[in-house]
Amino acid sequence: MRQYPIDYGLVLSAVLFAIGMAGVFVRRNVIFVLLCIEIMLNAAGLAFVLGGARWGQADGQVMFIFILAMAAAEVSVGLALIMRMFHRFKSLDTNEIARMKG
Amino acid sequence: MSSEQILALLPILVTSAASVVVMLLVALKRSHGLVFGVTVGSLLVALAAIGSSVSVMPQAVSSLLIMDRFALLYIGLILAATLAVALLSYAYLESRAERREEYYILLLLAAAGSEVLAAAGSYVSFFLGLEILSISLYGLVAYRRQTPLGIEAGVKYLILAGASSGFILFGMALIYAEQGSLQFAALAAAKGSSFDVVSLVGFALIVVGVGFKLAVVPFHLWTPDVYQGAPAPVTAFVATVSKGAMFALLLRYFIQLDLYQYGAVVLVFGIIAALSILAGNILGLLQNNVKRMLAYSSIAHVGYLLVALLASGPLAVSSVTFYLIAYFITNLGAFGVVGYLSSGEREAEEIDDYRGLAWRRPWVAGALTASLLSLAGIPLTAGFIGKFFIIAAGAGSRLWALLIILVVGSVVSFFYYFRLVLAIFREPDAGAQVPYPSASLAGGIALSVLTLLLVWLGVYPAPLVNLLGGMTSGLL
Amino acid sequence: MFPVFYVAGLVALVSTVMVVTRRNPIHALLYFILSLVAVAVIFLDAGAPFVAALEVIIYAGAIMVLFIFVVMLLNPGVALVIRAREWIGPAILSLLLTLGIVYSVVGSTIKTMGISATTPKDIAMALFGPYLLGVELASLLLLAGLVAAYHLGRRIEREAPARGASLQPGAPVGSGAPSSRKEGA
Repeated sequence: MRQYPIDYGLVLSAVLFAIGMAGVFVRRNVIFVLLCIEIMLNAAGLAFVLGGARWGQADGQVMFIFILAMAAAEVSVGLALIMRMFHRFKSLDTNEIARMKG
Repeated sequence: MSSEQILALLPILVTSAASVVVMLLVALKRSHGLVFGVTVGSLLVALAAIGSSVSVMPQAVSSLLIMDRFALLYIGLILAATLAVALLSYAYLESRAERREEYYILLLLAAAGSEVLAAAGSYVSFFLGLEILSISLYGLVAYRRQTPLGIEAGVKYLILAGASSGFILFGMALIYAEQGSLQFAALAAAKGSSFDVVSLVGFALIVVGVGFKLAVVPFHLWTPDVYQGAPAPVTAFVATVSKGAMFALLLRYFIQLDLYQYGAVVLVFGIIAALSILAGNILGLLQNNVKRMLAYSSIAHVGYLLVALLASGPLAVSSVTFYLIAYFITNLGAFGVVGYLSSGEREAEEIDDYRGLAWRRPWVAGALTASLLSLAGIPLTAGFIGKFFIIAAGAGSRLWALLIILVVGSVVSFFYYFRLVLAIFREPDAGAQVPYPSASLAGGIALSVLTLLLVWLGVYPAPLVNLLGGMTSGLL
Repeated sequence: MFPVFYVAGLVALVSTVMVVTRRNPIHALLYFILSLVAVAVIFLDAGAPFVAALEVIIYAGAIMVLFIFVVMLLNPGVALVIRAREWIGPAILSLLLTLGIVYSVVGSTIKTMGISATTPKDIAMALFGPYLLGVELASLLLLAGLVAAYHLGRRIEREAPARGASLQPGAPVGSGAPSSRKEGA
């Protein structure tokens, strides 16, 4: 059995991270931006677990569990803010709510 | 966890326990005064607890936290700043219809997160401390959840801080995949073999994430809007504690991994520092909204701090820490006055809200003028001594280009600081008398203590300088 | 010998690209759940069965379901009619994934190419050994998320003068300057 393709896994997580990052900058709808942040976090989680598998340590997976906790907390606060924003501005477009300038 | 380790962790334990106690208190009986009292009391107990952990330091607690002299000093700074923010918040919250008690729970949690960040010894505690701080700041920045500005600031901060956490996390993952260890110390040892590409990319991603948090120039776009939208005491907290904790970590990271020897790293931070100083000061000129002006000035001040960070050598750590202390006191004072004068109906944001302040509120005007002079770096204030230290440290390691930019930036900053000072001392036009809220005891105490500290550090800095003297020796 | 890693990787990549390019938030969320399951299959294949289960249960199961719940609640003009031909894409991806899962799970040992699987026991030893402090800090993190989400998500009473009734019925009138005015212009 040849070596497990950890490096391909890291490349895959890098590509997923890049897609998520592109999404954060491109998309206007706040739901998509929050979703793309989740993609970035998931890509980082993938890289951590593969790193842990490569060195045969459990640290990578422990870090993934902490990433899960952080993603859950961030989504809950993000969704609360999105509901507040939708309630107040009737729209989820980030341009629409730009009141401050200068 | 031996008893010594628990003793060493006492400040963090007290702060987190306090947040839980406050939450239970809110469940029992919702009263603003009681919750405020418990919060201030617990912060004082945490400050006192530092004395106990000093007796057992330096203590590496389970590979995650390192409680040494460096960490304890920053934890003390963070707790003192959080105390000042809590005192300034009482009157601000009292005049608003929001539910007030959750504010203090989030404030205590943010302080606990910052303490963990200041004492972080591994990427795990770096990440967890950063996230506790960030998530409680999401709640604090958007605390005025019914006003459009509050929601906009909250959404902007959430998106940018979330993305920056993603960058930091992915950077850590790459470094971990290459180096095999999550400890800073292990990385310092391993770096004997030259950093390979993946670790460099990982380090660059971490710098991007840290840059977002410190709001240095290429990543500062969120700063003015969030500073303006957030409640004034929260803006003071973001400008001081959040940046201070991240700076403490950057400083420890720099020294432990001895990144001074890498030309590329020093060059990148030098460019960031130069850009921050110039852009921060120049953009600050164009503002007539006080909160946005102070936001740009805080960007410039982080640029000065980076110059001190780059000046390696014995003087570097103490000059960075001294300037950070002066920066804390000054910004807490400036934003504290903005919060002090903001009433339920309107935030005292425009410059003409402060016209003729000296005649109507002499004490408050004095506090604001002292902070502005210190921001500008006028002698007899802490800001002057801080800048003097940085220039000495910078000259020591021949950072001439950066020092010139620092001086030019400071001169440019004189204009917009003095524009506000002039507005304060100008004759109040009889027409629009801006309604100031009634004086508040807690806010008054905080402002007077901050102003006294500011002047005392400016006139007689010797005791603090000696305290900072032995800083690097204590670094594990 | 079924190339589990490459198939799951391909599925993850395709579904993540579909997430970013969708117009309809619900479709994007469902594609993202597919991407999460694909990543879970990679974890399974990389010798991390415990984390694969966690990813499916917590990330795809709890966080994304909460996301879909809120998006459905808001329902920002989302066209929910799903025409037949739209099923082809997700169907193919899910079929590939099922093959991957079946191959990985069939047979008692976890067939991973040259990787010793880290059993849940190792993770538990690490979690409650050196990283015990991390678990406590993660609980603080969740507490912060809880309090922030509660404050921001709470319904606003219609009439909200500064002091008195709106906050909590029968509230003791606190000290300080009660300036009642219309809430949040």
